[in-house]
Amino acid sequence: MIPRALAFLLLAALPAFAGATPQPKPLPEKPADPASASILRVNSTNQAYDFFRPWTKKAPYSRRGLGTLIDGGRILVSAELIANHTFIELEKAGTAEKSSATVERVDYDANLAILRPIDPVFIRDMKPMSLDRGARVGDRATVLQLEPNGEIAQTQGTITSIAVGPYPLDNMGLLLFRLSAPMQQRDGSFTLPAVRDGRLLGLLMRYDARSQTADIISSPVIEHFLAEAGKESYGGFARAGIGYAPTRDPQLRRYIGLNEPGGVYVTEVLADSSGARAGILPGDVILAVEGKPIDQDGNYEDPDFGRIAFSHLTNTISHPGDTLAFRVFREGKTLELPVRMEARDSTKALSESYVVDRAPRYIVLGGLVFMELSRPYLQEWGGEWWKDAPQRLVYYDAFQNELPKDRGKIVFISQILPSPDTIGYEGLDNLVVSKVNGQEIRSLDDLAEAIKSPVKGFQKIELEEDPGILFLDAAEIEAHRDTLVKKYALPALQRL
Amino acid sequence: MSRPARVLFIAHDCDLALLAVDDAGFFKGTAALDFGGIPAIESVVSVYGYPIGGNRLSVTQGIVSRIDFQTYSHSGMDSHLTIQIDAAINPGNSGGPVMQAGKVVGVAFQGYSGDVAQNVGYMIPTPVIRRFLKDISDGHYDRYVDLGLSYQTLFNPAARRALGLKDDDLGVLVGSVYGGGSSEGIVKPGDVLLAIDGLPISSDATIPMDDDSVPLAEVVERKFKGGSVTLDILRDGKPEQLKIPLNGPWPFNLHSNAYDEDPRFVVFGGLIFQPADQNFMSAHRPEDLRLRYLFDFYVEDKIYKDHPELIVLSGILADPVNVFANDSRYGVVDEINGRKIRRLADVAEEFAKPADYYVIKMAGAGRPIVLERKAVEAARERILSRYAVTKEQNL
Repeated sequence: MIPRALAFLLLAALPAFAGATPQPKPLPEKPADPASASILRVNSTNQAYDFFRPWTKKAPYSRRGLGTLIDGGRILVSAELIANHTFIELEKAGTAEKSSATVERVDYDANLAILRPIDPVFIRDMKPMSLDRGARVGDRATVLQLEPNGEIAQTQGTITSIAVGPYPLDNMGLLLFRLSAPMQQRDGSFTLPAVRDGRLLGLLMRYDARSQTADIISSPVIEHFLAEAGKESYGGFARAGIGYAPTRDPQLRRYIGLNEPGGVYVTEVLADSSGARAGILPGDVILAVEGKPIDQDGNYEDPDFGRIAFSHLTNTISHPGDTLAFRVFREGKTLELPVRMEARDSTKALSESYVVDRAPRYIVLGGLVFMELSRPYLQEWGGEWWKDAPQRLVYYDAFQNELPKDRGKIVFISQILPSPDTIGYEGLDNLVVSKVNGQEIRSLDDLAEAIKSPVKGFQKIELEEDPGILFLDAAEIEAHRDTLVKKYALPALQRL
Repeated sequence: MSRPARVLFIAHDCDLALLAVDDAGFFKGTAALDFGGIPAIESVVSVYGYPIGGNRLSVTQGIVSRIDFQTYSHSGMDSHLTIQIDAAINPGNSGGPVMQAGKVVGVAFQGYSGDVAQNVGYMIPTPVIRRFLKDISDGHYDRYVDLGLSYQTLFNPAARRALGLKDDDLGVLVGSVYGGGSSEGIVKPGDVLLAIDGLPISSDATIPMDDDSVPLAEVVERKFKGGSVTLDILRDGKPEQLKIPLNGPWPFNLHSNAYDEDPRFVVFGGLIFQPADQNFMSAHRPEDLRLRYLFDFYVEDKIYKDHPELIVLSGILADPVNVFANDSRYGVVDEINGRKIRRLADVAEEFAKPADYYVIKMAGAGRPIVLERKAVEAARERILSRYAVTKEQNL
């Protein structure tokens, strides 16, 4: 016998199949939803580090979403679903059969991850889903969700726009499908597959209930990710490292002598980026990439998706290591610059925009806690962190691209654990360190090295701001060391 | 009897003003009061005035609770000696005398409302009043002078030993010395201040004065433009004596509320340029992170070196000539036609020079604003009349 709720759902789902399967199925059998053989529930227990107490983690929480089986026995999910995971469990729809899983590859820029069940037999009776790359604005797509009883719930929607937009963790711009569809939250997250005719169009990563629109990680981004994941060394998504402004202003166009119809004005070229190495300069106008003309707003005509930002060419269509031909207008002349595309190592950033699946680094010296500036630290101040966090650190994070190339990391005193060594230093937190014992500090490694050589028995810590200088007695730090470790339950005095 | 009064002198940095009534008959039958000294802690004082609650003279009484430095909220930046009393001080009391034994010992001026703290009112004590009266005795108010440096308490035993100090609870550590201030080129960060004008400085940054311990700044507070102080310092473990000429007031009043000033601006091609100061920031409350940084860290990060004034594109009188400038609103002007912009006058000068194009580069990454002279000239009358602009600049 079928429960009433299930019968209702089947009826509701029928219109979606009207085109594909003209005959109604006999009710007593399991629904032959082509998608159900490729979908499983993913329960991830995640635990992030506490950047206010970098030696410890916050309370664990769990996220649930849907994974999609793709070729090679791999399961595709959003990276957000499994960020900072401690345990991942796969659950088959309807059967409650479970297996744990490991992460084979994750890319937080693209918000994608590949999981693999510990036991390969677990997915033997399932069917991998292939990618559908041909979406157009106006196309219909179906979002799949799982009911608590294991049945698939389908929501139909329309793709209302295809554009390059921000991805959550690194604010990197990649191609997004925007789907207009009324949905209910069922699984505690919106990591859900969007499909068409049994093929995968993308994964949901955001849903705005008010406007009833979902942002979908698009199939070209998934395709790029899977291609890189298939390589011996994962290359990720390349970036030109160029900031630009439109050239719609006719006064600007006349001033720079630009007669071409399109082009974007380069406002910024990041140090050590693909663009910088190729010799692109601020003030250049990018006219075309790989022969594709760039318009005044920075779009090109994509054969599949229409007018979209040219960064889709540089970061998704091309792969790291590819060389792209940039046509550039500079001081009245047109140049052809070959740009070898490279991905940026996000850990090398002066202030990392995310620190996931990794412990934050720290050093505790006589009660002073030293850390390297990162956005997750600032984000500990909550929803309006850019207003509430220490402003100097917020500015360092915001304007990091303008600092000298050799500035390294921003090492700062994140807090002071009161101890006999810190008398008189109350409240001196969130201060940026410039030198320790006369040595320049550009990373915690520099600090670890510098504190090995106290000057005349003192650790001399110079700061970029008032009070300018702090001293600790090296011998007394040692004498108070065990008490400090015990009182504050520090598992270690440093983690590098 | 009511008569018109006029302002003789006004001191926004200590919230005092001197008024005159021209009709000599006005004061007939009144007697001038004398000033007293600093009343002792716990001694009783009376506050006279016309606060809310009625129309006739009101007197409240309390004791002196605390003698300390406080920020004067009128300017929002200056701190001076302040006496806290527990007599009720209410709206309308401001400017009224606080009396003890028939003498004026202060002027009531600020307090906390009942939802913040109970019975906390403040008066401007006579050292501040006497200083104001002496300052204006030459017919001009010169403002306070300032050492132009920051200093820190020195309680930490390791820091005291490292700096070569005795265990005598004396000395404060210099953190920053501000460019253009009195101490620039004389005092260095890392110096330890041991005494000021011979008065020993405790490690909590106080000095003994008038049988009391007061913040060391009180010595400078009582000086005038052209005066000097002597500092006994320890530099690299060696004692030295420095003389600091207190010439000119503290030059960086960017963060203080200003009064009686017309906003300064330049309008060109419908773009409004203004120097950012505290009044500007309070009025506009810009969210722009770069502007906020340059303003907030103006003194600390020595922004004043490149920008004696922070010139901001504060508004745009929308017109076809400037439709593409919108993204740059609240940007700080870095260059105009290749010239670094340090002051509002620089902006006016560059725009007055004939050029085919006016290229305005803002601080940070972004495209320049380009205005063609022909287009600006064609738009000029249109903008002036449409937006009823009566003046294109006030430098």
